[in-house]
Amino acid sequence: MTSDVKPLLPRHDDLVNERLVAWYFLAALTFLTVSMLAGLLVALQLIRANPLDGVELLSPARWRMVHTNAIAYGFLANAFLGCLHWAIPRLTLRPVASVALSYFIFSAWQFVVVCTAAGIILGPSFQAQDWVAELASQFHISMSLGAQGVEWGETPFWIDPVAQLGLLLVAINFMTPIVRQRGPMYVSLWYFMAAFVWTFLTYGMGNFMPEYVVGGVSGGAVGGLFIHDLVGLFVTPLGWGLMYYFVPIMLKRPIWSHGLSLVGFWGLAFFYPLQGIHHFLYTPIPMFLQYGAIISTIAVELVVTTVVINFIGTIWGDGEVLKKNLPIRWFYCGMIYYFITCFQCALQVTLTFQKLIHFTDWVVGHAHLVMFGVFSMWIFGIMTYLFPRLIGRDWYSRKLCEIHFWFSAVGVFIMFLDLGLAGVFQGYYWASLAPWDVSVTGSQSFWVVRAFAGLMMFSGTLCFLVNLYLTWRGPVRELNPDIDVAPALA
Amino acid sequence: MNEPNFLPEDAFPGNDDPPRKKPSPTDEAKSARFRTRLTIVLAVLILVPSMYGFVGKFYEFVRIYRGDWEGSFAIAPMLNYLLASGGFLCLFFWATANRMFHDIEEPKHAMLDNEQRLDQQLGGKP
Ligand code: HEM
Repeated sequence: MTSDVKPLLPRHDDLVNERLVAWYFLAALTFLTVSMLAGLLVALQLIRANPLDGVELLSPARWRMVHTNAIAYGFLANAFLGCLHWAIPRLTLRPVASVALSYFIFSAWQFVVVCTAAGIILGPSFQAQDWVAELASQFHISMSLGAQGVEWGETPFWIDPVAQLGLLLVAINFMTPIVRQRGPMYVSLWYFMAAFVWTFLTYGMGNFMPEYVVGGVSGGAVGGLFIHDLVGLFVTPLGWGLMYYFVPIMLKRPIWSHGLSLVGFWGLAFFYPLQGIHHFLYTPIPMFLQYGAIISTIAVELVVTTVVINFIGTIWGDGEVLKKNLPIRWFYCGMIYYFITCFQCALQVTLTFQKLIHFTDWVVGHAHLVMFGVFSMWIFGIMTYLFPRLIGRDWYSRKLCEIHFWFSAVGVFIMFLDLGLAGVFQGYYWASLAPWDVSVTGSQSFWVVRAFAGLMMFSGTLCFLVNLYLTWRGPVRELNPDIDVAPALA
Repeated sequence: MNEPNFLPEDAFPGNDDPPRKKPSPTDEAKSARFRTRLTIVLAVLILVPSMYGFVGKFYEFVRIYRGDWEGSFAIAPMLNYLLASGGFLCLFFWATANRMFHDIEEPKHAMLDNEQRLDQQLGGKP
C-alpha cells in the first residue's frame, strides 16, 4: 500500500510531450481516412460500381493492399505510438529516452507508411519499365519493387530494413523508462514491454524469412505465424495494456484483480505464439502442427476470459457510467466485440467449421470486427478522452461524438453479421460444386449491404474529424497548474 | 457555440464527482478472498497447459532434429516460437526471483494514486 508521506511527482509537462501525441493522432486519423476510402473503393468494385474503373494506378487490387496496410501501419501503429507517449511516461514517472529520437521515429514512420503505399501503387508499373528490369538484372535483384508477396507483409522489400530499424528505435525509446522502474510493475508495462520485443521479432520473421530464408510450405507456415502474431503480439498486447491503463483511471477505481491480469499476460505470452498455423488448416502442413494450433487457440479463450472477468469486475455496480461516459462506452463496447470475436475464433478454428468458412467472407467479417470493432474502438475512446487535453479545449459537440460512436458501433456490427452470413452462403455454394460465378452472384446483395455499412462507419469517422476541427477552432480552456512538483526522473 | 461539455464533468478523473460509497471491511475481505481464489484457479488452468504447450513444442523440435522428415520444414516457425517463449520463460523466472509478484495487488493502487496526483497538477481539470 502507499505510505502516508508521498514523494513529489514530476510535472506532467516534463513527462509527456503532448504535441507529439497530437501529431501521432492526426497522422493516424489521416491514414484511417485514406484506408476507409480505399475500403469503400474495393467494396464498390465488388458490387460492380467502381467509379475509378479502368484507372490502372487506382485498381482495386492495389487499393485493397493500401486499405489493410494503411490500417495496420498507418492508423493502428501511429495511434498506439501516440497513446504510448502518453501512458508510459505517466506510468513510469520518467520521460522517454529522447524526445529528439521520438520526433525522428515519428517522421521515419510516416516515411515508411507513405513509401509502402507508393510501392504498392506505383511498384508494379515501375517494374514493367525496361530500365528497371535492366537495373534489377545488373544488381541481381529478383524481387518485385511493389508489394512483397507476404500477406500483411506487403511493405516492399526495400522499405523493410527501414521499418525494422524504426521498430528497434521505438523499443529503445520506450524500454528505457520501463527498465529503470524499480519494484513490481503495473500490468500495462508488462504488456508494453512484451509488445516491443514481439513486434520487432514478428516483423523481422514475417518480412525477411519467407523472402530470403525459407520457401514453399515452410514459408507458408512462417507467413501464418506472422499474420497471426501481428494481431496477437503487436496489436493485442498494446490494446490490452492501454485498456488496463485507461479504464481504471477513467473509472477512478483500480483494476479488479492485478494478479488475474498478470495471469492473462503470461498466458498470452506462452499460448498465443502457438496458434499461427490455424490460418492454414487443411494445408500440407503436418497435422500434428495443425492440431497443436487448434488446441492452443481454444486454450487462449481462457486467457481472454481472465481479461473479460477483470474488466467486468472493475465496472461492477457502476454500469450507469456507460451511459454518460463516452470513452468508457467505447472501451466496453470494444470489449464485448472482443469477446464475440474470440468466441468466434474458438468455433472457426475447428476443422468442421473450417470446411465451411475457409476463404469465405466470414473471415473478412471477423477481421473487421476485431480490427475496427475492438482495437479501433478502444483507440477512438482514448482519442475522445485525450484530444480535449491535448488541444486544451472541450469537445465542440457531444452530439457529434455520440454519432461517431453509434455509427461506428452499429456500422461495424452490421458489416460483421452481413459478411458472416455471406460466408456461410459462399461456403455452401462452393460445397455444392456450383460454378464460381454462382457464388459471386449470390454474394451481391451481401456486398451491397457491406458497402452501406462501410459508408455508415465512414460517416461516423467524418463526424469525428469535423468535431475535432470545430473543437480546435474553439476557445482555449483555462488551466490551473499551481502545484508543487519534482523534476522528472532520468 | 459549444454544447455543454461532457468530458470534465462526466469522464474526467480528478473532477468533482461525489466519492463512491466505500464497501464495508467485511465485504472487502470477502471480495478479496474470492478474487484470490479465482486468480489461483485461472492461473492453474492457463499456465499449466501453456507450460505443456511449451514442452510439447520443445519435444517436437527434438523429434524433428533427430530426423522426423515429416515436420522438418516446420522447423523455422517452431524455432521462432521456442526462442520467443524461452526468452519469456527466463523473464518469468527473473521476475519471480526479483519479487516482482510479491505484493501482487500493490501496483494497481500506486498507479491510480500517481495518476490522480498528476491530474491534480492541472487543478483536477484538463
Ligand atoms: C469504410 C469502411 C470499410 C469498408 C467498406 C471496407 C471494405 C473492405 C473490403 C472490400 C475488403 C476486401 C475484402 C475481400 O478481399 O474480399 C476489406 C478487407 C479488410 N479490411 Fe476493410 N473496410 C472498411 C474499413 C476497415 C477498417 C476501419 C479496418 C480496420 C480497422 C478494416 C480492416 C480490414 C482488414 C483487416 C481486411 C482484410 C481482411 C482479410 O484479408 O481477411 N477495414 N475491407
